[in-house]
Amino acid sequence: MSTRHEAAAGVPPRNAGTAIEVRELVRRFGAFTAVDGVSFRVAAGEIYGFLGPNGAGKTTTLKMLTGLLRPTAGHAIVAGLDVARDALALRARIGYMSQKFSLYGDLTVAENLELFAGLYGVQGERRRERTAWALRMAGLERGTERLTGELPLGWKQRLALGCAVLHEPPLLFLDEPTSGVDPVARRAFWDLIYELAAQGTTVLVSTHYMEEAEYCHRLLLMNRGRVIAEGSPGEIRALATEPIFALRTDDAARAVAGLRDRPGIVEAAMFGRAVHIAVADAHGAEARIGDALAAAGRSCDHLEQITPSLEDVFVSLVRREGGAGAR
Amino acid sequence: MIDRGRVRALARKELRQLLRDPRTKRFVFGAPIIQLLLFGYAVTTDVRNVPTFVVDHDRTIESRALVDAFTASGYFRVVGRSDAPRDAARALDADHAEVALEIPRGFARDLAAGSTPRVQVLLDGSSSNTATVAQGYAGRIVQQFGIDFARRHGGVPEGGVDLRTRAWFNPALLSRVYNVPAVVGMLLLMMSLLLTALAVVRERELGTLEQLMVSPLTPGELILGKTLPVAAISLIDLVLITGVAVLWFDIPLRGSAPALLVAAVIYILASLGLGLLISTVSRTQQEAFMGMFLLLLPFLILSGFMYPIETMPAVFQWLTLLNPVRHFLEIVRAIFLKGAGLGDIAAQLAILTVMAAAVFAAAAWRFRRTLE
Amino acid sequence: MLSATRLLAIARKEAIQLRRDPRSMALAFALPLLLLIFFGYAITWDIKDLRLAVRDEDGTRHSRELVAALTGSGYFEVVARLDSRAGIDDLLQHGTVNGVLVIPRGFSRDLAAARPAPVQLLLDGSDANTATIALNYADAIVARWSADVVLQGRARPGLLAAESRVWYNPTLESRHMIVPGLIAVIMSIIAAMLTALTIAREWERGTMEQLAATPVHRLEVVFGKLLPYLAIGFFDVAVTTVAGMLIFGVPLRGSVLLLAGMTLLFLVGALGLGIFISAALRSQLLATQVALVATYLPALLLSGFLFDIASMPPALRAVSQIVPARYYITVTRGIFLKGTGVEQLWAQGLSMILFAIIGLGAATLFFRKRIAA
Repeated sequence: MSTRHEAAAGVPPRNAGTAIEVRELVRRFGAFTAVDGVSFRVAAGEIYGFLGPNGAGKTTTLKMLTGLLRPTAGHAIVAGLDVARDALALRARIGYMSQKFSLYGDLTVAENLELFAGLYGVQGERRRERTAWALRMAGLERGTERLTGELPLGWKQRLALGCAVLHEPPLLFLDEPTSGVDPVARRAFWDLIYELAAQGTTVLVSTHYMEEAEYCHRLLLMNRGRVIAEGSPGEIRALATEPIFALRTDDAARAVAGLRDRPGIVEAAMFGRAVHIAVADAHGAEARIGDALAAAGRSCDHLEQITPSLEDVFVSLVRREGGAGAR
Repeated sequence: MIDRGRVRALARKELRQLLRDPRTKRFVFGAPIIQLLLFGYAVTTDVRNVPTFVVDHDRTIESRALVDAFTASGYFRVVGRSDAPRDAARALDADHAEVALEIPRGFARDLAAGSTPRVQVLLDGSSSNTATVAQGYAGRIVQQFGIDFARRHGGVPEGGVDLRTRAWFNPALLSRVYNVPAVVGMLLLMMSLLLTALAVVRERELGTLEQLMVSPLTPGELILGKTLPVAAISLIDLVLITGVAVLWFDIPLRGSAPALLVAAVIYILASLGLGLLISTVSRTQQEAFMGMFLLLLPFLILSGFMYPIETMPAVFQWLTLLNPVRHFLEIVRAIFLKGAGLGDIAAQLAILTVMAAAVFAAAAWRFRRTLE
Repeated sequence: MLSATRLLAIARKEAIQLRRDPRSMALAFALPLLLLIFFGYAITWDIKDLRLAVRDEDGTRHSRELVAALTGSGYFEVVARLDSRAGIDDLLQHGTVNGVLVIPRGFSRDLAAARPAPVQLLLDGSDANTATIALNYADAIVARWSADVVLQGRARPGLLAAESRVWYNPTLESRHMIVPGLIAVIMSIIAAMLTALTIAREWERGTMEQLAATPVHRLEVVFGKLLPYLAIGFFDVAVTTVAGMLIFGVPLRGSVLLLAGMTLLFLVGALGLGIFISAALRSQLLATQVALVATYLPALLLSGFLFDIASMPPALRAVSQIVPARYYITVTRGIFLKGTGVEQLWAQGLSMILFAIIGLGAATLFFRKRIAA
């Protein structure tokens, strides 16, 4: 994790105006409720993260906030406009970038920029300026005549971001913008997001990368269409109720199998080469874990209690809600 | 309401995408011309050179004269001769011949004696309307042969009814004159459908539609921006293929060219709207493609393109009224062959305009709904 | 070399994808029936009740008898009697009538005097087909009536007439010709429709690289994709055949087995062509367009289904030789209506085998080039 980003994440928003106000938002598809009474508030200039397993309702919520989907019930005021009533006016004030690469692969870089400038009414001198800015930002000053479809994914994503903010919207929606992008490109992408936020843009970003969640000022955890937690990364980490132990062992997979469903052990999961074990009570936990491992015929190489990571908290919160299973 | 800058931006993008691939460019402008050249000839209901098998049992001057009368008419072409009726049957079976002419032994003798020999004409009833028409031609040729023979030998007095037929608008009764303008209408429909049926669903599949829809672009602007470039291409196609029809096929353009242009613009818009409607209803490109295939055939059958509408059952005659192709074909034929002007085609124009408006409204409505 | 397991794996995958796409399936199965009903009911060549306007300037028994002879034939009906020649122009211009019969003054007198008695028939030639048929009918009816009048009171020397017999379809029932031809057209359409997109779609979605990375041989891919569509094709032929026989009473005089065999040959060729287009173009958009132009229209217009090939110019007759549907139509019409056997149809069979080899060969070749590229 970049120290620079962690430092930035701690910086509180400079102004306290409200960019997004959501109250009891509901969206149903037939009998299925994708978003079930979600409420939250985003301050202007904030980087606000949506976190949740696939199918948690993140994308559906984003689509309602951008006016792509009509809410079944509830209210959402975005940039001062009611999304249900003023969807069209809203679109001029927001930028949106989806998880799917959505520029035209069969147009050149310059042609894509020209299209979005035209769609957002960015004209004349401002267009030249903004286009030059977007090209610089994407590092594509020399590649304007290249077909967009032939660019590496990281560049495509930066260009897509450039297109989305060509009209300098006060609000930017990013739906899993870095999925499939390599870590280096992802880091570079987040630099851009910080740059935009520093200029006063409110950014709402959905992700399932935990490290990205750490970059956000505030986070909203969703599961099964409901909000299960909200707060800064630090606040969320503090929600951890179960002590976590990290175990290093020769065969993590078997260790996990041996630990599951043992008395006093809430959850065991692989965490890279280690096993993270949530226990009901830290007191005497080490002994219980040792017993369980011995019963499973595994050795205990190294065991220590750790500060729960965001992911640990996330996993435990989701479990407490009854799992992420598809409904 | 409609922002011209946004429409222009989208239209420019559409044109770029369409014409970037040189194969598409060739296809868009080349295919209609090649198709008109091919189908202008193929779509013929003229019956000529019907392959005919001759079984002449008589082998006299008269029997040969009768066969000559068949070939001289241009309607029949002798592809085989034999003494055995079995061979004629085999030729019909194997599709080598569509007509067999059998002249009985004693044909000349019976004629001279004033009795009526039995000349047999066998027709292959399995092949389209050729049999019907060929039957008529054969009947006339044999009858005329008999009358001429009788006249030469004093059996029939001079005189009698002298039927003089004249075909208006198309004196040589070339079906091409009737059909080529119809092919023009069909090709315009196809081009328009092909270029729009995938327009929306393709972007939906690729995910770019969503990006467009979070921009301030309205559904109306999207439809306009998608339609205008294709309309322009279709109009260029119209000029190209009308040129081929007039210059290559010698189809007379007797009526008003501006009237044709006005009608074509409205017709093209109706076709494009239909394509967009297919595109907004379909979830995948494959579906759109099949929807188009499915629609195209009834549109062609119920247009009066190949079959006169008046011989259809009443239900189907009613259905044809819903078919824009039918109305456009009436217009095209009236302008090309009968020299019609704007005033003569006002009714059809009005209907086409209503249809165009209706399909666009439906496409916009469907589009708005499917966004959800 | 080729493994049946891998081939079947691809076929199964293709079948599953097809089944998951209910609209495509519905179309694949509903299309034949729909087309059959449309064609069967809507199209008819039986031209009757041609609308005739009569301008009788003679007003005698003869002139009335001539008109009666025309209407009595069942082919013409008189929808207007004109008081002058002035309205003729308008009637034809607006298509109110198909033709106008003008019997000039002195018609009866000329007939009695054994002079040629001119009668004018003006036809709307803009629809050449209807006009030609009208002309044939009128000519035959008038000539016969004329001969009867002229010969009245004489010893009848008998008038030569053709004794025509229509084989295979004695009543010239349009439906009987349409159903067998329709099977061929439907099969061409289905083949193009279903296959043109299948490989192009895999390219667009990037799943083709995935397939190429497995040990699957390209022939296995081509055949694997072929199988499910072949099954649908066969099903469609069966449905159309049964519906044609039950609904429209079309006879099936030849061997069902021969029909099945020939259908197999044709389908393999037509499907191979579709796969070839799909593999060569790699874009669904372009594959759609080319499939429509290269298979759909030729099958409809250059196959002899609707338009007689013999009447086309030589160059076009040559072009029709490379339309597989042309051979298949000869086969279906032969088997359904003529009851012909393999001894008459072997040439068509060979042609279709040739198409199948070329289609599949080209598809397989292109496939390799694309993977390598």
